Amino acid sequence: MKVGIISFAHMHAHSYAQAIQELEGVELAGIYDDDPERGQKAAARYQTTFYSSYQELLASEIDAVIVTSENASHREHVVACAAAGKHVLCEKPLATTAEDAEAMIQACREHQVILQTAFPVRYNTAILRAKAYMEEGKLGRIIAMKGTNRGKNPGGWFVDPQKSGGGAVIDHTVHVVDIMRWFLGAEVAEVYAEVGYQLASEIPIDDCGLITMEFNNGVFATLDCSWSRNQSYPTWGDVTLEIVGTDGTLKIDAFAQKLDVYSNDSGHIYAYWGDDMDQQLVHDFLDSVRKNEQPKITGEDGLRALEVALAAYQSARELEPVRIEKSQA
Amino acid sequence: MHHVLVVGAGTMGSVHARSFARMENVKLAGIVDIRANIVGPLAESLQTQAFASYEEAMAALERVDIVDICLPTDLHKTYVLKAAAAGKHVICEKPLAGNLADAQEMIDFCRERNVKLFVGHVLRFFPEYVQAKRLVDSGAIGEVAMVNTFRGGIFPTAWKDWYADVKISGGLILDMIIHDFDFLRWCFGEVERVYAKSMIGRTFARMEYALVSLRFANGVIAHIEGSWAHQGFSMKFELAGKKGVIDYDSRAASPVVSTLRKQEAGQGGVAVPESPLRESPYFLELQHFLAAIERETEPLVTPEDAYKAMEIALAALKSIETGKPVSLAHSAGKGGDC
Ligand SMILES: NC(=O)c1ccc[n+]([C@@H]2O[C@H](COP(=O)([O-])OP(=O)(O)OC[C@H]3O[C@@H](n4cnc5c(N)ncnc54)[C@H](O)[C@@H]3O)[C@@H](O)[C@H]2O)c1
Repeated sequence: MKVGIISFAHMHAHSYAQAIQELEGVELAGIYDDDPERGQKAAARYQTTFYSSYQELLASEIDAVIVTSENASHREHVVACAAAGKHVLCEKPLATTAEDAEAMIQACREHQVILQTAFPVRYNTAILRAKAYMEEGKLGRIIAMKGTNRGKNPGGWFVDPQKSGGGAVIDHTVHVVDIMRWFLGAEVAEVYAEVGYQLASEIPIDDCGLITMEFNNGVFATLDCSWSRNQSYPTWGDVTLEIVGTDGTLKIDAFAQKLDVYSNDSGHIYAYWGDDMDQQLVHDFLDSVRKNEQPKITGEDGLRALEVALAAYQSARELEPVRIEKSQA
Repeated sequence: MHHVLVVGAGTMGSVHARSFARMENVKLAGIVDIRANIVGPLAESLQTQAFASYEEAMAALERVDIVDICLPTDLHKTYVLKAAAAGKHVICEKPLAGNLADAQEMIDFCRERNVKLFVGHVLRFFPEYVQAKRLVDSGAIGEVAMVNTFRGGIFPTAWKDWYADVKISGGLILDMIIHDFDFLRWCFGEVERVYAKSMIGRTFARMEYALVSLRFANGVIAHIEGSWAHQGFSMKFELAGKKGVIDYDSRAASPVVSTLRKQEAGQGGVAVPESPLRESPYFLELQHFLAAIERETEPLVTPEDAYKAMEIALAALKSIETGKPVSLAHSAGKGGDC
């Protein structure tokens, strides 16, 4: 199977490229990037062809495309992939507006190609174990969830709202909201958020967020989506969940499988040794492509999570809880 | 020498009485509790007198300078007013009262009677919290923007199960995480907006869990998690600033952990963490209150602070009830010193 990558703007492109290289029978057949220098460098690194237009890449003999361009460019790239009949794995957030996300879902449906949202946390082994544990019913009825997805300010286009759609809230809300929806089999009905612009000194962007949610099955939840890890913090960030049920609690720290390393060169850092979720994400996407079946995570899943992030921004503006009106897709 | 009468010999009353008994500048005049089987042995072990009621103690004792109220919250007002009316300085456990009108009345009456009122917001005497505030104040992590705290454990058991009655205790939010509200207000100033969700009205299980969102006037966002749904007490905080992060987890900061092989009162196999200190925070708190009387100085926790912490807790309860954020006006006239 041949796979292309559109843009190395998002650093996840590298872990997806590595995942492709490690998979049997899969070839990274080409790379497009609107930054030719970045694209050529990546092409050299992964020993593949660089295309200076994505139309050219899409005209080549590839089966599927991974879109890792800037958030605001997802629509253009995904719609082009669909029109060319290529299956798509699109980086999260799916888009920067619900309208764009709907158009992408629509285009992929029309051209009968798979659209999967890249939510790798669903493939994290600790998250999978926790889901299985919850399905055993030992926690009783779920009452509440408290999540964190904190990180470092990535800088670059991530802090340019024209390209990213926003800062920490749009970047870090969607992963854990997706996990909560998946765990509960329920939708977010109402969102309240406090959003802060306080950590970055140079370019002001929303870098702190605390989102409170009410699900349509009566579960309440919060999520800290802040870019609140400072540069010398021992790791990139975290994904944690605290789940409270009538018969017990479950604590999940998705990246707790690590070594503490104390080095004169790098100070204190965490060396993660758990399973690679990005590898599993790419593997599962290509599996769906091969079998031509519905992906495990759909474009709709990406849209639902995006709606929560957008509602959070609206709530912070209006200082009121915001009801989620489900967009049509 | 301060002659102190401790009222209530439950969990807090015995902690306070034991602390006073060790102080050189204190004469523990007596301990009051309606439960003779509790107060008798405690008084005996501390070589002081046991009384069945406050009135009985006040009639019998020649000298009382300070009355320390360690009763269930709904009884705070009655006994604070009685002690103040008798011209005694008052120490009262937190929360000061169950509603703001009562709190204001207690504060005003103590001021009127010219007696001091101290409220037991003891977190300000826990060295880990003191240290964190000192670090924040010194700029160690830069301007703080995002805060997360946790406090909780199992559902508390007490006399007549009074914690389970929200009308008496105020529940998890007014009784328990008010500690964090006070600590955060101490660090970051006034709260502007409160939004909260909890289990209230969602289930009949004997448990409580609350997630509170605070926005401070200086921009800080704080998430306060409180639980009476977990096993084993613990507390945590994480303060994230422009230059760094301060992280504390009481479970990780326990230098002594014992685990017994033999089943002992149901404790077998359970790890019991301890954080031993030369002086307990309660001891330091009470000593500080005595020093404030001796030196006529402002205590670290003023009655206004206690009032303001209640205001945040009650705003959270209101938010839970209405589903809306609650704005706090910074009314300068509220609270006040006595
Ligand atoms: N600062 C802290 O860390 C902390 C911790 C626990 C409790 N508290 C506070 O301390 C107060 C007491 O809580 P507790 O856990 O010790 O409760 P408790 O139930 O253990 O003790 C209350 C005691 O009051 C006695 N009592 C009831 N009515 C009385 C009366 N009219 N006269 C005399 N005695 C009477 C009861 O017999 C009981 O022994 C509460 O306000 C609580 O919120 C503070």
